[in-house]
Amino acid sequence: MAQLHVRKNPTQPSSSVSHSLHSQKPKKQALTTAMVSQYGIKYAVHIITNHFGPLVAKVCDCLLKKGPLPLREIVRYTELSETLVRNCLLVLIQHNCLQPFLLEEEGGFGEVNKVSSLYMVLFDNVLHRVRFSKFMAIVSQEFNKLCVDLIETLLQHGRLSSEQIFDGFRDSSSSGGMEALQENIHKLVMARYVERCPISEPFLALPSEEEAAPARRRGAKSAKVFLEPETLEQRVLAAAVPPEGMRFSFELNPEIGADREKAENSSTGDKRKRDALESGTDGGFVDKQVVLWRVNCEEFTRRLRHKICIEIVRTRLDDEAATVFTAMLNASRSEEKKIKTASSVPLSENSIYAEVIKSEKGRNMTLDYVISVLVGLSSSPPFVRVVDNSYSIDYKHIIEVAQTDEVESIVYKKYGKDAYRMFRLLSKTGRFLETDKVSVTPHTLVGVGLDSLSTVGLANIGISDSIFVEKKETANILSKMWQGDYLQMEKLVAGPTQFLLWKVNMINLRERVLDDMFHASLNLSLRVAYELEQQKEILHLGVDGPMKEKYEKLKKVRFLLESSRMKLDDAIMIFHDF
Amino acid sequence: MFSQSPSCRYLLSSFYLRVPAFCTGCLSGEYCNYSFFLFGSYIWCVEDDTKEPDFNSTNPASWSHGYVAPEAHQGIVSSSTYIFDVLSAGMSRLQGPSSLKRKRPELNSPVQSLTEHERILYDVIRSKQDIGIWTRDMKKEAKLPDNVVNKSLKALQVKNLIKEVVNIQNKGRKHFMATEFEPSKEISGGAWYLEGSLDTEFIESLRQLCKRQIEKKGVATLEEVTDLINSYPAFNVDVTKQQIEEILRTLIWDNAIMEVKSNGMGEFASIPFGKVCYRYVSKGGLGGEPRAGALASIPCGVCPRISRCTPDGVISPKTCVYYQKWLDF
Repeated sequence: MAQLHVRKNPTQPSSSVSHSLHSQKPKKQALTTAMVSQYGIKYAVHIITNHFGPLVAKVCDCLLKKGPLPLREIVRYTELSETLVRNCLLVLIQHNCLQPFLLEEEGGFGEVNKVSSLYMVLFDNVLHRVRFSKFMAIVSQEFNKLCVDLIETLLQHGRLSSEQIFDGFRDSSSSGGMEALQENIHKLVMARYVERCPISEPFLALPSEEEAAPARRRGAKSAKVFLEPETLEQRVLAAAVPPEGMRFSFELNPEIGADREKAENSSTGDKRKRDALESGTDGGFVDKQVVLWRVNCEEFTRRLRHKICIEIVRTRLDDEAATVFTAMLNASRSEEKKIKTASSVPLSENSIYAEVIKSEKGRNMTLDYVISVLVGLSSSPPFVRVVDNSYSIDYKHIIEVAQTDEVESIVYKKYGKDAYRMFRLLSKTGRFLETDKVSVTPHTLVGVGLDSLSTVGLANIGISDSIFVEKKETANILSKMWQGDYLQMEKLVAGPTQFLLWKVNMINLRERVLDDMFHASLNLSLRVAYELEQQKEILHLGVDGPMKEKYEKLKKVRFLLESSRMKLDDAIMIFHDF
Repeated sequence: MFSQSPSCRYLLSSFYLRVPAFCTGCLSGEYCNYSFFLFGSYIWCVEDDTKEPDFNSTNPASWSHGYVAPEAHQGIVSSSTYIFDVLSAGMSRLQGPSSLKRKRPELNSPVQSLTEHERILYDVIRSKQDIGIWTRDMKKEAKLPDNVVNKSLKALQVKNLIKEVVNIQNKGRKHFMATEFEPSKEISGGAWYLEGSLDTEFIESLRQLCKRQIEKKGVATLEEVTDLINSYPAFNVDVTKQQIEEILRTLIWDNAIMEVKSNGMGEFASIPFGKVCYRYVSKGGLGGEPRAGALASIPCGVCPRISRCTPDGVISPKTCVYYQKWLDF
């Protein structure tokens, strides 16, 4: 990972900056943000419109389409007044959907380096807004009602200082006094469900010579590590995150009442931030006295990923496997630092067993039985990898299995059973196959995992021969899938004859399916709004008599639409977040 | 299907045969706990397989004393007919290897009574052995006028010396072969083809049988499946390992079974370590659809017009006909 130069005080140039002045070639910061698909943007803008109205949505749309921009550019593109844009940005910051940052760029030809203040929409956090109910459900399973209320308050307000939280619960009967409130916040922080807000305006310095050098030059071994360049978004987020120790530290203060009164005389964090933004110069500076808290979406996303993985294991294997798998997740949970983790830390049989017997379902399992379940989990499809008697969860594979299932089920529904077979043949083979005659087809799916294919082939078997469908029909189905962008096709001309070669490009297809999912989610949400309108009309007319039936039906319709949207959101997470 | 004539039923009874078959009606879902009998071309479930069916009764339900015919299985009686038909059709074809042997021309064969033109043509066709020849190529090679060729072809067919065969590579072309040869794999398409077309019924029945065997065992090797299929009473000829392998591969693409390597433990205990075998995929799979994913469960996921659907366009979620259908309950 490229190291980041995060400067505590951006007004003082770092040594790397002054050094870069003498370099010959002007260096540019890579402004690559993670690509958001067309309907991803539309869906995010739709969410923002629903929650904060069209003006904030306009600013969000502009930033999602153009990437990070300085204030004046946003004003120019949106054609809104500067004050209005500022306010929209503040709303987005308050709700954790926007991250301002300072970017250092080379001045060029002996000029001093420029530092510009940019605003970047956090696409993931916008999507998280539809998952708040899922977050609350997780908290309600693990904590008491007060914790659920606390999370709800934080989700509603985006970010709050401790004082603001206490104020909100002052008159609440469920709070049980300031002490209980503090204790519960502490519990949530310890469980990493609540965190300190990131640095308000982190500084991204120019990469040093070494970092700017292409990864390949550093030799084959290190090149592997550097293959995937970090996006600007990742760099900004990494720079903004408070140090681990700070991020989850909440000090219990027995004299909170006295402190609170003092704080009342001073400005709140929110006010301070507003001042900082308005002055436009010192955004990176945060008053250390006022700590802002927010819900840690990352942790919730991890928990949701765990839940989805458990369900995949349960449907593919059985309840016992799911119990052991859950124990593995719990045992390795504290070590997880990222969302997109390929695998968990390795766990010994004994540590897994110790976790298994903690659960009610696992209490009647013997060690031998747990080991046999682990063997089942590590055989095909391998959800767990075994190295030297240590077991680690193969998240990457589980998520890939889930993605493949989703794509294949669409193919089945859209193009039928024969198409499903052809698609599976092509996707498992992973390379071009001819419609009916191919020199080599996969003979054996070797290995405990199905992903490695040996090509000890049977000669002269093509797609139609492999799946027993007439050649004409095969060509027909394949071209339909190709027209629908589910397959890649290449024409091979050899003299007078022309061969058609087909392939599944899973990487492109995943992106395409994700875009379809955003589109479908947007549609579901629009339809819900439409049904709600109708419901309002009925309510206006009164729900008695003949209208009652219609009203009940509308309720059912809404339920179906909403639950479909939530399920689809799980799938979006499988394709986008995990 | 029930209105069989008494003589026909008599015939059925003479074919009475207990066979480890399976209920075709249940293939797509749960398995029937009843026993199955094969009566002539029928397979159905009976409650008590120790009693002989009473074929003299005009009531089909009493052909077996214990015949239960639960509602769910009524359809099987008719739908399963294909199983036996297909098996017997397939088997007779699979007895092929013996029929593939060249027949010795009889002593008083009609070859001796051929005209000169017929003889030239016959030699050309016969020289192509099991590949046969297209009429146009034949005309070129024999260097005979069209009308003579056509006339001679007819004569040779009447004398049963040549036959017309379907060339899988080009079904539109008239293709002839000497009767003593059976079309080669290139011409016939191989074991899975019958008269130039894919023998889908035969393939399907084999697929079902293989799947059933793997399901019963949980995990099985290719050799085990082949042996089991070949030990079927109805299968009095051998199906090759390669054929079964081809069938199993289609089951993999169906997600009905998966190919795994034995680790020598648990369910693989009876299979040597490292040996490739096939495991039944317990949920979903053959006959049934794969579990519908989140996107496939809603109209947008399979919508043919999704690319033209926009929030305020002619096609929109508000006006969508598929939504209308989906939400109409």
